[in-house]
Amino acid sequence: MRGLIAVLLLLSGSAFGQVKLAYVGEISGQLAVSGGNFRDGIILAVEEINARGGMLKQKLDLTLYDTQTNPGVARAQMQKAIDGEPYTIFGPVLSGNVKVTLEIVKQAEVPQFIGGEAADLVTLGNPYMFRTSFGQQIGMPKIANYIRDELKAKSIALIWVNNDFGKAGRDQLLRVLKERDIRLAADVSTEAGQVDFAADVVKLKSANADAVFVYSNEEECARIMREARKQGLKGPFVGDTTLLSQKTIELAAEAANGVVGHVGLTVDAPIPEVKAFGERFQKRFKYKPDHNGLKGYTAVYAMRYVTEKKLGKLDRKALAKTLHGLTITPKEEPGILMETTWNDVGEIDRISFLAEVVKGQQQIVKVLPKLGK
Amino acid sequence: MGIGILALAGAFLLVAPLGLKPYGIFILSMWAVMTIAAIGLNLTLGYAGQISLAQAAFVGIGAYVTAWLTTKGAWPFWPTYALGFASCFAVGWILGYPALRVQHHYLAFVTLAFNTLVYLVFRNEEWLTNGIYGISNVPRPSLFGFSLKGGREFYYFCLANLVFVSLAAWWLIRSPWGRAFVAVRENPIRALSLGVDTRRYTLMAFAIGAGLGGISGALYAPLTQFVDPTPFALGLSLNLLLMVVLGGSGYFFGPFLGAIVAVLLPEWLRFAQGYYLMGYAVLVMVMMAFWPTGLLGLADRLLKK
Repeated sequence: MRGLIAVLLLLSGSAFGQVKLAYVGEISGQLAVSGGNFRDGIILAVEEINARGGMLKQKLDLTLYDTQTNPGVARAQMQKAIDGEPYTIFGPVLSGNVKVTLEIVKQAEVPQFIGGEAADLVTLGNPYMFRTSFGQQIGMPKIANYIRDELKAKSIALIWVNNDFGKAGRDQLLRVLKERDIRLAADVSTEAGQVDFAADVVKLKSANADAVFVYSNEEECARIMREARKQGLKGPFVGDTTLLSQKTIELAAEAANGVVGHVGLTVDAPIPEVKAFGERFQKRFKYKPDHNGLKGYTAVYAMRYVTEKKLGKLDRKALAKTLHGLTITPKEEPGILMETTWNDVGEIDRISFLAEVVKGQQQIVKVLPKLGK
Repeated sequence: MGIGILALAGAFLLVAPLGLKPYGIFILSMWAVMTIAAIGLNLTLGYAGQISLAQAAFVGIGAYVTAWLTTKGAWPFWPTYALGFASCFAVGWILGYPALRVQHHYLAFVTLAFNTLVYLVFRNEEWLTNGIYGISNVPRPSLFGFSLKGGREFYYFCLANLVFVSLAAWWLIRSPWGRAFVAVRENPIRALSLGVDTRRYTLMAFAIGAGLGGISGALYAPLTQFVDPTPFALGLSLNLLLMVVLGGSGYFFGPFLGAIVAVLLPEWLRFAQGYYLMGYAVLVMVMMAFWPTGLLGLADRLLKK
C-alpha cells in the first residue's frame, strides 16, 4: 500500500515538484548591461543549486521577464510573473521599475530581492522587499568620508546622470557633503545614453575643484572618463560602484586608470569565495561579472538558506519574516559569499571596499567594516 | 460583413477578461488606453493631415494632472479627468499655431521639440511633478459608488471610455467638421476658396487630438498607479505614430488594429525570448514595406479587387 502511495506521489509530481522563481528585470533597453549581469548571477546560482539536488529536494524553475527598462512594460511583466505564482521574485534593477511594481508585489505578498539602489525604495512600505546591495544612503556617507579624510578635498565638481538612479544619488551626496563642509563647485547634469560630454567636461574643468565625482551608468561613466582625459582634466576622479565597475574599465580602457571610489560588491574583493564565484561566472558566461552579477547570485542563496535551513518548507510570508533582522555567514551558507545582514525594513549591511583602478584592473585599497559593527 | 466583425470583436472584448489572468487583463486595458491616444492622433494626422510627434506629451499631461490632483490634492477622479482633457485641448490649440506656418517634416520637428520640452518639465520641475521620483499610489476611481480597484473592473471602465471616445470620433468624422478636416488635408487652398476656415479647423484638429491624448493619460495614471517621466518621452510618440500608420492612417478602425500590433504583438512574441524584439522589428519593417497604407489600406485594396 505504501509503495502504491509512493508511486502515486511520484506520478503526481509532488516528489519531483519544482519551485517557481521569477526574474523581472532589464534584459533589454538602457540598463541591459546591469540587468543582464543580475540575471546571469541568478542563473548561475539556480544551476548550481539544481545540480546539487535543488531546494527541499525540488528543482528551481526560473522564468525570465524582460522589462525593456520601461516602467509600463515592467508593470505588465511583473503582473505576468505574479500570475505564475512564483515563490520569490528577483529584480528589477532599475529603481523606477521597482517603484512602478511595488504595489502589486506587496499585494501578492511575494518576497522580492531588488537590484535597485535608490535611497527611498525600502521606505515605501513593502515588507516583502529586500535589497541585494547598499542603498545610496549607506554608500554615499562612506565615500564622503573618504573624500574628506583620505583625499582631504574641500570642494567637489559633480557630474551625474539625470535618471532615478543618478538624481537620488546626487541628492544623497549633496546632503553628506554638506554635513562634512565640502563645497559643491559644479553640479553638472547629463542624460542617460548621452554620447558627447565635451561641454560637460569643460564645466567641470572651469570649476577647478579639489576632486571630480562621477555618478552615472557604466557606459556613460566610460565616455566621461575618456573625454576628461582628452581635455586634460585633473582628478582625482571619485565615484561609487559604477565608475569602478568591470564594464566601465573595459570601455574606458586606460582612461579609467587612477579612478578611486567606494565599491559595495566586486569580484576583485580579497575574499577567496568571491574570487571563486568570479571564475565560475566567467567560465559559464564568458565575461567578467560586475556587482550586479554578485547581487543576483547571493540573493538566490539567501532565499535558499532561509527556506531550507530556517523554515524547512516553502512559505513566502515566513521567508520574508525570517529574513528581517537575519545575518547569514558564509560558514552557514557558502553561496552568500560574505557575511550579510538584512534589517527590519529589508536594508542590507555587509562589508564594502575602497578601490582604485590600476593598469586596467580594479584593486582593493581598503576593506570597510559593516555599519552594524 | 463589417457589422458582423464589429459584433464579434465587441463580444470578444467583453468576454475575454473572464478567461484571462490579471496580466492579460492589464495588457488589454493598456491596449484600450493607448487606442484612445491613437484615435486622437488619427484625427490630427489621418484626417486633418497634420503630423504630430507630440502625442506622448499630451498623454503625459493628462496622466500628471490626474496623478497629482488625486494623490496630493485628494481630488476625486472625474474633475481631474475633465481637467486632463481641457488642459490638453488648450495646449494642443496653442501647439496648432506653428502648423499654420509649417507643414510636413518641419511640423514634425516642431512637435518633436514640444514633446522633448514637456518631458524635461516632467523630469526637472520637481516642485510640480516630483521629478524623476514620480508619483506613487495613484488611486483607481469609483463609479456610482462601485469601486474600480480590481483589474477586471478597471478594464471594463477603460473599455467603456474607448467606446465613448470612438462614438464621439465617429460622429465628429461624419459631421461637417470631419469633412472640413479632410478638406484641409487634401487641398487647403481649394477648401479655403469654398469658405472652409482652414485656420480654425487646423487648430481644432490639433486640439481635439491632444484632448483625447489627455483622456488616455487620465486613464493611464490609475491603470499603472505610478507616474514618472520615462514613459512620456519621444519613444511613446513614435509608437503612437506607428499605431496610426500601421493600422491605416485616415481609417476609423486603423488605431484599433495599430494598437494591437504595437501593444499586444510584442507580448505575444515573447515566446521567442531574447529574439522577440528583433522579430517584432522585422515584422513591422515587412508590414511597412509591403503594406504602406497600413493593415486597413491593404484590406481595402483586397476587397476592391
